[in-house]
Amino acid sequence: MGQLALMIDLERCFGCKSCEAACKQEHRLGPGEYRNKVVWLGDASTGAPDFLTLTCQHCERPACLRACPVYPKAITKDPDTGVVEVDEALCTGCGECVMACPYSAMGYDAKGHHSVKCDLCPDRREKGLEPACAEICPGFAISFGERETLLEKADEEGRHPRDHDHFLLKPQTVYLEKIERENGRAKQEDASRVYEKPSRPRFVDSPGANDVFEQKGPDFPYLHDKKTLKADRVVPGGCNFCFNCCTTKFHFQGDQLINVTGNEEDPVLNGKLCPKAQFTLQLHHNEHRLQYPLKRVGRRGEGEFERISWNQALDEITAKLEVLKEQWGPEALALFVGTRTGLITQKGYVRLFSQMWGTPNLQGTDPFCAAGKVVAYEVTHGINGNGNSYTPEDIGSAQMYLYIGDNQAETRPVYFGKVNDWRIKNKTRMVVVDPRYTATASKADKWLGIRPGTDMALGLAMAHHILSKGMHDQRFCDEWVLGWERWREFIFSKGYSPDWAEAITGISAEEIRALSEDVAKADGCVIFGSRGLNQHTNSVQTNRVMMFVAAITGNWGRKGGAYVNMTAGPPITVNAPENRRAEIQKPMVRRSPAGWLSAMRKGKPYPIKGLITCNNPLAQWPGQDESRAAFKALDLIVHIELFPNETSAFADYVLPAAGGIEKGELGRTNDDRRIVWIEKMIDPPGEAKPDGWIWIELGKRLGFGDVMKEEYKDPGKFWDEMCIDNDFLRGVTQKRLHSVPYRWVRFPVASEDAPEQETLYLEGTTATGQPEGKRFPTPSGRLEFWTGELEKKFAQVGLSALPEFYSEKENLSQLPYLEYGHEDDDLEIISPFSKVPTGSRTARIVQPDEESLGDELRRKGFETILITGRPPAPHFHSWTHYFWQAQEMWPDLYCQIHPHKAQELGIEDGVKLKVETMHGAIEAMAWVNAGIRKDSVYVPIGWGERQPYHPWRSVNFLTDFAQRDPVSDQTNMKSLLCRISKA
Amino acid sequence: MRRFDIGDKLLAYLLFAAAVVLVTFFAFQHTLSSEWHLPGSPTLYLVGVAGAVLLCVSVVFVITKRTGVGGSPLGWFSAHVVTATLGGVLVSIHSGGFLRYAPALLLVALFALVILGVWARFRLSRRMSATFASRDESFSPLGSDNRARMAYLIQEKESLLSRLEPGANEGTFSPRLKHWFSRPGLTLAYARLIGRENKLLGMRAGVSPAQAYWRLIHIGLAFVFVLGMLGHVVTVTFFAGYVSGGGDIYWWHLTRW
Repeated sequence: MGQLALMIDLERCFGCKSCEAACKQEHRLGPGEYRNKVVWLGDASTGAPDFLTLTCQHCERPACLRACPVYPKAITKDPDTGVVEVDEALCTGCGECVMACPYSAMGYDAKGHHSVKCDLCPDRREKGLEPACAEICPGFAISFGERETLLEKADEEGRHPRDHDHFLLKPQTVYLEKIERENGRAKQEDASRVYEKPSRPRFVDSPGANDVFEQKGPDFPYLHDKKTLKADRVVPGGCNFCFNCCTTKFHFQGDQLINVTGNEEDPVLNGKLCPKAQFTLQLHHNEHRLQYPLKRVGRRGEGEFERISWNQALDEITAKLEVLKEQWGPEALALFVGTRTGLITQKGYVRLFSQMWGTPNLQGTDPFCAAGKVVAYEVTHGINGNGNSYTPEDIGSAQMYLYIGDNQAETRPVYFGKVNDWRIKNKTRMVVVDPRYTATASKADKWLGIRPGTDMALGLAMAHHILSKGMHDQRFCDEWVLGWERWREFIFSKGYSPDWAEAITGISAEEIRALSEDVAKADGCVIFGSRGLNQHTNSVQTNRVMMFVAAITGNWGRKGGAYVNMTAGPPITVNAPENRRAEIQKPMVRRSPAGWLSAMRKGKPYPIKGLITCNNPLAQWPGQDESRAAFKALDLIVHIELFPNETSAFADYVLPAAGGIEKGELGRTNDDRRIVWIEKMIDPPGEAKPDGWIWIELGKRLGFGDVMKEEYKDPGKFWDEMCIDNDFLRGVTQKRLHSVPYRWVRFPVASEDAPEQETLYLEGTTATGQPEGKRFPTPSGRLEFWTGELEKKFAQVGLSALPEFYSEKENLSQLPYLEYGHEDDDLEIISPFSKVPTGSRTARIVQPDEESLGDELRRKGFETILITGRPPAPHFHSWTHYFWQAQEMWPDLYCQIHPHKAQELGIEDGVKLKVETMHGAIEAMAWVNAGIRKDSVYVPIGWGERQPYHPWRSVNFLTDFAQRDPVSDQTNMKSLLCRISKA
Repeated sequence: MRRFDIGDKLLAYLLFAAAVVLVTFFAFQHTLSSEWHLPGSPTLYLVGVAGAVLLCVSVVFVITKRTGVGGSPLGWFSAHVVTATLGGVLVSIHSGGFLRYAPALLLVALFALVILGVWARFRLSRRMSATFASRDESFSPLGSDNRARMAYLIQEKESLLSRLEPGANEGTFSPRLKHWFSRPGLTLAYARLIGRENKLLGMRAGVSPAQAYWRLIHIGLAFVFVLGMLGHVVTVTFFAGYVSGGGDIYWWHLTRW
C-alpha cells in the first residue's frame, strides 16, 4: 500500500470547523484537545482569508517521532501506510513531540497528560470508511486516499499542491493552492488599502477561553473510552438547527445516543454536515437542559423558581388564561413560536390552539428574518419561495452565482459546499456583494463591499444598465412579466443609473456595469439574497428589485437561473373545523412582535396581557430595553424551552420542552423544498415533554380536546391527518417519507405516487394548484412587477408598486429614508399584504436634510454603521451557546472592526470594547480584521447574559424595535449608527 | 494497552497528604524524643535511607524510559511521581529541621524539582495543549534558505549515522542510551547535529521559555540532586569526621576521615 494521506483544498475549505467537530466526536476528545483545527492563512495584499485545516502531516521524516525520548518510541510510523501514530499507553506526556513539530500539529491532552494526534482514523479505515473529517466535510475540501492517487486527481482538475516543506520533513498531507483569479487573487473593495494578514481572532484563542470547562468536563460521550462505545443500531433522521436542514444518522448503543453522522444515502447532501448537526449529540446529552416544570417565586427577571408538577403547572396556567380571557378578551393572549419548536408545532399545534382560543396575535420569527422576502415573492410571483433545487442539473448548472447580502458559507454551509464545488468544477463565476469580506466572499472572483442598506440602489442601477443597453431577455419579459415596461420607464425617469448608485452604494459605476453585464450575459445566473437584503426597512422593495433583475435577465422558472432568498416553506394548512374556531374580533396588532410592545406596555391599540413563548425573545427581539419593560408589564408569561435563558427569567412558568429526536418532528424549511422527517428515537430528559404534548394538554384543559385530540400527540399521525391536505403536500405522507433511506420528500407532490419536481415553473408547465397552463401562481399567471391592484396595495402603506429608492434613517450619508405615519399605539390601517387582518403603519419616503436623525447622531459621535447578523457556522441563535464545543470554537461575543478604525480608536485585537447606539449599549471582544468596510462594525446575534459558558448582553440591546418596513413589518437589523470605544 | 497514568486528582491528594505529614511532623517535633531531632540518629538515619531509596526510583524511571527494559514507561513515570513525593517527605523528616548546613541545599533542590513537576502537570499541560495550531506560518509558501541548510544537515546526519547505526533510517532515528555507552563520541557528534536541526525546525522557539525549557531544567536539577545525594552519602559514610566537625559521630559510618 502506498502512503495514505489527506488532501485539503484551500479553494473548497470555508472554515466551518465541521472537521473539528467530527474529529472530536469520533475520538471522544474534550475541550482543548485537538487532532485538527481550522486556521486562517491569507494574502496580505488582499485581506482574503484562506482557511486551512491544520492536522498531522504524517511526515516521511517525522520530527515528533525523533524527539520522543521513550524507547520503544511512543510515536511510530507505519511502514506500509506511512501513518504516524502515538501510542498513548507508552506516552509519558513530556511534550517534546509537541515542541518538535514545526507545523504545530501535535495535540496534547491536558487532562490525561499525553500527546494526541491524527492517525487517519484506523478504526474507520478497517471498516472501509474514510477518516471522519473527510467524510463529513461539507465543502468537499478534504479527500482521503493514497497520496499518489490524490495528486493525480488534483492534477486532473488542474490544481497545484502547495509546497510547504520548509523543513525537509517531507510532509505527506497535501494542501491544494487556491485557484488563481483573473487579476491575481480575489479582489477586495480596494486592494490598495489592505492591510494585515487575516488571522484567527485573538479572543478565540485566549488562554482563558477554555477555563469555563475546567470545573466539569464535557457530557457523555466525550472523553469516554471509545472502545466501549459501539453502536448497535443506526436510525436516519435530520438536523433541526438551521435552514440547511441536513439529513443525519443517529447511532445508538442501547438507548444511548453515541454518534451523529451525515446520511451518505442522501442523494442531495451526500452525508455532509456542518458542526451544528454534530452538536445534536451535545443537545441530547446536556446538563443544562430544562427538565422539570418551574414556577416563578422571585420577582420577574430575577430567575428564581420552584419545581412543580406538570399537572399543577398546566392547571394553574389554564386558570390564569381563563381569567385573562374573561378580563381582557382572547386577543389579549399573544403566542410567539420560534423555529426551534419545529414546523409541526409552529404551523400545526399552535395554529389549532390559536384558532380555538381566538387570538390573532400568533407569530413566529419571520418578521425578524424573512417577512420582507416572503411578501416580495408573494406579490411578484404569487407564492413564497423559488422553485429550484440543489442538483447538478439545476443550481449546479448556472454560469454565474451572485450573492447579495447572503453569507451562505456560514448560514447554510452544506448547500454552499455544493455550490462552491460546482463553481470549481464548472469554472462558474461568483461575485459576492456584502459589507463584510465573508467566508462566502473568500471563494468569490470578486467581492463588492457595499454600504449597508443600499442594495436596492445597486439593484436599480443594474436594471437601469441592463435595460438601457437592451441586454434584458425581451421574450421572457414580453411573455411572462406584467408591468416591466412601466418599471423600465420609472427607473429611467428617476435616473437610477450606475453613476447615480456609485455614491450611494460605495461601488464604482464601472463595477456596477460590469456586474450587470455579467448577470445579463450568463446563460443562467443564480442570485442569492438573504438577511442582508431582508433585515431592512426597505426589505420588500429591495427584494422585489433583485427579483426584477433576475426576471428581466430570464433567470426565473428555468434550470440554473433563479432568485433564491432562503427558504421555501411548505404550505402546511392545519385548520380547526369552522364551527370550532373562535370568532376573532380584532385584527392582529402588528405583523412583527416588535410592534406588540405598545400593546403590552400601554394597552394600545388594545391590551396584550399574556404571552406564551417558545423561543428566546429576550435576546432576539430588537430593542431589548423596551422588550423587557413590556414583558414586565404582562400578567402572564409562559415559556416553553429547552434551556433556561433570558426569557425564562421573566416567565411565570417555565415548561421544559423536548427537541428533535426526543419528540419526532419535521426538519426546518430549506432552500430546495425538501421536507425532512425526524423520528422520535429517545425520551427527553427528566420530565421534559414534546411541544405538541404541551399544547394538546393545554388545549384539553380549555375544552379543545375534540380537535386537539390525545392521539395527535403522535406527530406522525397528526402530520398525516391534519397537516397535508393540499396539492402541495398531499403526497408527503409518513409512508412516503419512510420509504426512502434519507427520510425526505421534495414538495409539491399532490399524491403519494406523484413524482418529485426538480425545477418548478418551467415554460410549458402549470403551477401547483393552478388552472391548467398557468405557469406562475399570480392572479395573471405572469410575474407581476406593476399592476393597478399592486399600486393600490402599496399606496395604502404610503409607497408605490414601482420601487423608489430609500435607505435607513440612521445612515452615514444623506440618503432618503422613511418617516412613519403613526407609532404602534393604533392599528392605523389593515395591511393589504398580510393573509390575516393585521394592523399596519404607513410611511412616506422623505429626502434627507441637515435636521435628519443621521446628522444628529453623527454630530454626537455615532459615526460607524452597526451590522448585526448570524455568527459563524457552529452557532445558531441561543441554543448552540449551551454546547461546549460551539463555545470552544467561538466563545465570546465579538465586534469585527476594521484595523484602520481600530487604530483610530486605539483598540487592540482581543480587548473588550463598548458599542453604543441611541438605543442601548453592550460590551464585546474586539476582533480587528480587515474583512469589513472601514465605516462599519459587525456584532453577531445569539449571545445572552444567562448563558452558561460565555454570557454577554445580546446585541439586540443596540437595535430598534420601531424601524420597520411598512410593507412586511420587517425590522432593520443591519444599519444602525453606533459609537465604539474601549470598555 | 491500558494507561497507568496518575490523574490530577490523585496527585493533588498525594501532595496534600505529604504536606499534612510534613507540617504535622515539624509542628509536633518538639514533643518527640531526641531520636526525631538528629538526622543521624538510628531512626532518622533509616528514614533518610528509605527516602533515598524511594528517590532512586526516579533514576530507574529515567533508565527504563530510554532502554525499554522494565515494562511500561508510563507506569514508571507514575511510580517516579509517587516515590519522589514520598521520598521527599522522608528526606525532609530525615533532615530533622537542620536547614543551616550544606545538605539543606539538597532539600531546596528537591522542593524545586517537586514544584517544577507539579507546575508542569497542572499548569503547563494546558499551554502544551494550546500549542496545537499555533504555528500556521509553517503553511505559508516557503523561503529556500532554510531548506538548503536543512538539506546539508541531513547529509551530515546520514553520513554520521552510517557509522553510528548502520542501516538505520535518519528520518526516524534518534540516539538511545546504548549509543551513548557504545559510541559516545559519535553519539555526541550526532546529538550536536540534532541540536542544529532542532534550531532550524524552530523547536522550543515558538513557545514560552518556561514551556520550552522546564523539562531540561527538571532533568538538570534532578541530575544535580542525584549527584548531591551521592555526595552526601559518601561524605557521611566515609568522611564522618569531616562531617561531624570534631563533634560526636553518632550515625553509622565506615571511616572517620
